[in-house]
Amino acid sequence: MSLARREFLALSGALCVGVALPRAAGAAKPLAAGKAIPLTAYVVIEPGGLVRVLSPVSEMGQGTFAAHAAIVADELGVDYSMVRVETAMPADPYRHPGPGGAPASQSTGGSWGVRRWYGPLRKGAAQAREMLIAVAAARSGLAAAEFAVSDGVVKHATSAAARYTFGELAADAAKLPPPAEPLLRPRSARRHVGARLERPDIPDKVRGRTLYSSDFRRPGMVYACARIAPVQGAKPTRIDRASALAVKGVIEVVALPNGAAVVASSQWAAMQGARALVIEFERTANDSLNSAAVSAAMREGLGAVSRAVLRSEGDFEAALASAARVVTADYEVPYLANAPLEPWSCTAEIVADGSLDLWGPFQAQDRARTGAARTLGIDGVRVHTLPLGGGFGRRLNDDGVPAAALVARAMGKPVKLFWTRETEFAAGFGRPAQMARITAALDLSGRVTGLHFRASGPSLILHFAPGPPVVPDATFLDGTSVQNLDVVRYAFGAYRVDYALRHNHFPTGPWRSVGATQNAFFLESFIDEIAHATARDPVQLRRELLAHDPRALRVIDEAARRGGWGTPVKPGHALGFAYFECYGSLCAHVAEVSIKDGAPRVHRVVCVLDCGEVVTPDGARAQAEGGIVQGLSAALGEALTLKGGAAIEQNFDTYPLLRLPDAPREIDVHFIQSGEPLGGVGEPVLPPIAPAVANAVRVLTGKPVRRLPILVPGFRLFGYSRAARE
Amino acid sequence: MIRINVNGVHHTVDVEPDTPLLWVLRDALGLTGTKYGCGIAQCGTCTVHVGGQPTRACVLPVGSVGDMRITTIEGLHPEGRHALQLAWIAEQVPQCGYCQSGQIMSAAALLAATPQPADADIDAAMAGNLCRCGTYPRIRNAIKRAAGLAGASKPRTVKGVS
Repeated sequence: MSLARREFLALSGALCVGVALPRAAGAAKPLAAGKAIPLTAYVVIEPGGLVRVLSPVSEMGQGTFAAHAAIVADELGVDYSMVRVETAMPADPYRHPGPGGAPASQSTGGSWGVRRWYGPLRKGAAQAREMLIAVAAARSGLAAAEFAVSDGVVKHATSAAARYTFGELAADAAKLPPPAEPLLRPRSARRHVGARLERPDIPDKVRGRTLYSSDFRRPGMVYACARIAPVQGAKPTRIDRASALAVKGVIEVVALPNGAAVVASSQWAAMQGARALVIEFERTANDSLNSAAVSAAMREGLGAVSRAVLRSEGDFEAALASAARVVTADYEVPYLANAPLEPWSCTAEIVADGSLDLWGPFQAQDRARTGAARTLGIDGVRVHTLPLGGGFGRRLNDDGVPAAALVARAMGKPVKLFWTRETEFAAGFGRPAQMARITAALDLSGRVTGLHFRASGPSLILHFAPGPPVVPDATFLDGTSVQNLDVVRYAFGAYRVDYALRHNHFPTGPWRSVGATQNAFFLESFIDEIAHATARDPVQLRRELLAHDPRALRVIDEAARRGGWGTPVKPGHALGFAYFECYGSLCAHVAEVSIKDGAPRVHRVVCVLDCGEVVTPDGARAQAEGGIVQGLSAALGEALTLKGGAAIEQNFDTYPLLRLPDAPREIDVHFIQSGEPLGGVGEPVLPPIAPAVANAVRVLTGKPVRRLPILVPGFRLFGYSRAARE
Repeated sequence: MIRINVNGVHHTVDVEPDTPLLWVLRDALGLTGTKYGCGIAQCGTCTVHVGGQPTRACVLPVGSVGDMRITTIEGLHPEGRHALQLAWIAEQVPQCGYCQSGQIMSAAALLAATPQPADADIDAAMAGNLCRCGTYPRIRNAIKRAAGLAGASKPRTVKGVS
C-alpha cells in the first residue's frame, strides 16, 4: 500500500474498521469477525466478502447511499445486496474543493451526491477490481486479462479451479499499489445503475430500528438540554443553577458562551431542567428587529444604487429608454425554517488521550471537526456520521457541536447535547427573506429587449461563510441571493442582475435549493406577468425566449405536452407553468390548481427534469415528489415572523408544514436522459413549484401573486388539516 | 413505581406519573423507534397505540395509561412484517425515515378500524403526521397497497436487502 493511501485511510478510520467498530456499534450493522481490508479510499472488503463503501456523503433520506452502492456494485462486479455504505470520516478523498479558493472540506449539499462522486467511486471500484484480479492471476499463474469479476467472485475464463472469493484475495490485493488508470467496465455491463433499486436503509426505517443521532447511546452517557439566547449573539448575564438543579434527575448546569446546558440522567429530566432554568441574557442592539423593519430595509434596497453586479450584458438603460412598453413588479418572500423532523443533537466523548469522538447527524463533517477542535484546543477529533432525520441544508451548520464538546469536557463523561423543537426553530438557520424588483423593456411587438433583476435582502453567506469571515463592502455580492440568475438561458436582450445587501443579525443558512427557491419564484412569476401584459400564452413566451436553446425547449415542450397545456381542465381549475435551471439540471412543472374555501388546492403536478442521466430512477422520482411537496409547503403556508429580534414561530402549531391531505394526489415525474453532464436531482425539482402554482392562482383570481406564502382573499392555512387536527 | 404493558410485556418503571409516555418508552425502556418531534402533539412522530387508539405519546402522562395495552412500532408485528411495513418497503416510502414510525402507527390504527379506507379516510387519519421529506404521495399509495385496494402503484421488480 502506498504511503499516501495509508495516510488517508488511517485518517478516515478505514484501516482500523475492525478495531473502531465497537465504538460505533450503535450505528453499524454487526459484521463478521475478522479484519476489514481497505483496497482503495472508497472500497473496503469485509470478512465474509461483503463490500463496504466509504461514501463521502451523509444519508439524510435523499437516497445517495443507494446510488453509491449501485455505482460500486456495477464497477466492482458484485450484487447490490452485497454492498454496505457508510459515511467516511473526513479525509482528502472525501472532500470537495472549497468555493473561491477556500480549503477543501467534506460536506453533503448542492445536489452533488451523485454527480460529484460518480467518477471517483467508479474509479475506486475499478482499481479494487484490478487489484483483486492481479492477485488471482499471480496465484494461478494465468493471465490477468483472462479473469473477470461477477457476483463477488474472481473467475478465470476457462479454468474452473482458478476461482477466488474477495475474502481470499483481499489481504494480498491491499499490498498492491492501486493502478493509476484502471479500465472502466462498459455501460453494457451495468446491472444496477439505471435500474429500480430498493434502498438499503428502508427495511430498518419501517421497523423503528434505525438509530438516529437522538437514539444513539454511549455507556455512561448523560443528556444535556441547551437553553440558548433567543436573540442570536446575546450572552447570558445570570444563570440560576439552583432553579434547574431542583428538578429530579438534573446533575449539573454548564455555562455556554450563548446560554447554558442542563445536564441530567435522562432526556426528559434534561428537558424539564432546561424549562425550569432561570436564565437572563444581555440586551442587544438587535432586540428591536422585526419583520416590518426587515421588509422596509429590503424595499429601500430595491431602488438604491448598486455596485454589486452578477451579470451585465448589453445596455439595459438604453433598452429602457427606447422601450415601447415597460413591465415591472416587486416581489417578496419571507424567512423560512428548515424544520427537519429530528431536532438537532450530538454525542460527544473525550477519551483517555484527550481526543474527542463526535456522533451526530452531520452534513458538514469538516466543519463539525474543526469547530470542536477549535473549541477544545485539540487536534484529535473523530467525526462519526449517523443517519440524519432530515437535512435539507440545516445540518450544514455546526451550531451545537462546540457546546457538546464543552459539556463533555465539563462532565468528564459522554454527553448527548440536544435541542428541543423550540430551540431548533430559534437556531434553525433557514432561508433568508428577500425582495426583488424586476423590470422588462419591451418593443412594439412585445419582444423583450432588456431585463433588470434587482435582489435585495439580508445575506446568507455572512452567517454561513465556509471560509474566513467576509467583510462586506459596496461590491459585496451574496452569490446565494442571486443564485442561478447567471445561468438563465432566456434571450432577454440586455440583461442585468445586481444586488443590494440589507443585512441583519437573524441567523440564516442553506434551505433546500437555497437561493434558487426565491429566484425561480421571482423570475418565473415575472415571465407570466410579461405574458399577461402582452396577451401571450406563458408557455409560448418561454418558447420564444428559448428559441435558440434546444435542450431547454425540449424540457418546456415535454412538460407542456405531458401536463396537458392548452387542453381544457375541469371547471374551477387552472394550470400554471414554470421552468428553472439550477444545480446543473433543467426542470419544468405544470401545476393544476383550484381554490376551495379560500385556499389553493394543488391537484396534480407534472414534473419534467433533465439531469443528464438518471442513476437511481425510483430514488430520483422520490426526490422529485419530496421536493415538490416541500416547495409547495413553503409556497402555500410557511413563514417566520420576526419580533423582538427573534422568530415568533417556535413549533409546528404556528409554523405550518404541508400535511398529507394538502399534498397533490398526483405527481407525475418524467426524466429526460439527455446525456449531458450529470446534474443534481434533490434540489432542482423544488424551485419551479412555487411559481407554477402562483401562475395558476393568477389565472383563477386575476391577480398576480407577488408575495409568498400565497395569500388569496379569505385564505386559510391548510384549512382541511387544521380542522382535522382540532 | 408505575406498571405498564408495552408490546405485550409488563414493565415496572420508576418515573413520576406526569412523565409523558414518550420519555418512558425512550429513556426508561430504550424503545427508541418512537420519536420526539415537537412535544406538543402537532407532528405525530411519537404516535403509538394506547388501547388500540393512535395516541401522541409526547403529551400523554404515563400515569393515565393504567392497564391499557401500549403498542409501539417495535411491537406492531413480531417480525416487522405487518402489511403496512411490507407496503412501505414495496412503495419505497421513507426518505429520512424519522417520521415513519409515527406514520405507520397512524396508518395501522386506520386500517384496524377501516380496512378499506377511502381517500377521505386516509386524509383524516394521516393529517396529524408531518413529513418534511414530502413522502405523502407514497404514504397514500402504501396504505392502499396494504389494504389491497386499487390505486396503489404496480408491483415492482426491485433488488434489495430486505
